[in-house]
Amino acid sequence: MTDLAERRDLDQVYQPAEDTRLLAETAAECVGDGDRVLDVGTGSGYVASVAEDSGADVVGADINPLACQEARENGVPVVQANLTDPFRNRSFDVVLFNPPYLPTPPADERNDWMEYALSGGEDGRAVIEPFIDGVGRVLASGGEVLLLVSTLTDPDAVVDFAADYGFDATEIASEKHAFERLLVLRLQRSTDG
Amino acid sequence: MREDLMDIICCPLDKHELDLEVIRRDDDEIMEGRLVCTECGEEYPIEDGIPNLLPPDMREESPA
Repeated sequence: MTDLAERRDLDQVYQPAEDTRLLAETAAECVGDGDRVLDVGTGSGYVASVAEDSGADVVGADINPLACQEARENGVPVVQANLTDPFRNRSFDVVLFNPPYLPTPPADERNDWMEYALSGGEDGRAVIEPFIDGVGRVLASGGEVLLLVSTLTDPDAVVDFAADYGFDATEIASEKHAFERLLVLRLQRSTDG
Repeated sequence: MREDLMDIICCPLDKHELDLEVIRRDDDEIMEGRLVCTECGEEYPIEDGIPNLLPPDMREESPA
């Protein structure tokens, strides 16, 4: 592969940024030895690698084939997938997701992989909501979700949406940036007690 | 992909189990092959060591 081609591929895969690092640090604190972990939208595989360093058994998933290749090169077992669709019921103790969350007017939507990695549709929650809808199925009993959200995405709306799907959401980490505050929500099934 | 992934993956459409057909194996990884749903018969490719478990209608959507 030429340097130029490699550069082009990197431009099509979301590289670790502030949001990635906040989720990775939080995951490192929450994930334990032997936990089965799924990192949705793994991108370069950074969060998955950090979780693996904490002793977890980690699989990454991404819709973007170039991200899958890059995560695999970074040593992350990876599946090309839409969210949690191809994973078995009750397979994971922890599911991690740094979703595309930037609110994006339809007129500004580009049709490339970086857009997939960034754009959360008009309200920023176009990918978060189907994720919450599907994630309960793959969580083991007592399992939890760590979801990164931004104040741009209306975290209260995410918390309310999660409640409709039977999850209690708690903020467990947060970091202030110039135009937004990033936070990590922990979602646990209300019935798990 | 490592073969132990078979324990956690399923057909994205109907969530049934998949059969693994290996075309090429490299050390402990399956590099090329197919995953076939035991219920609906849908086939999912494994290429360059990566299983593509997107539903068929999303496989064609690639913008890049």
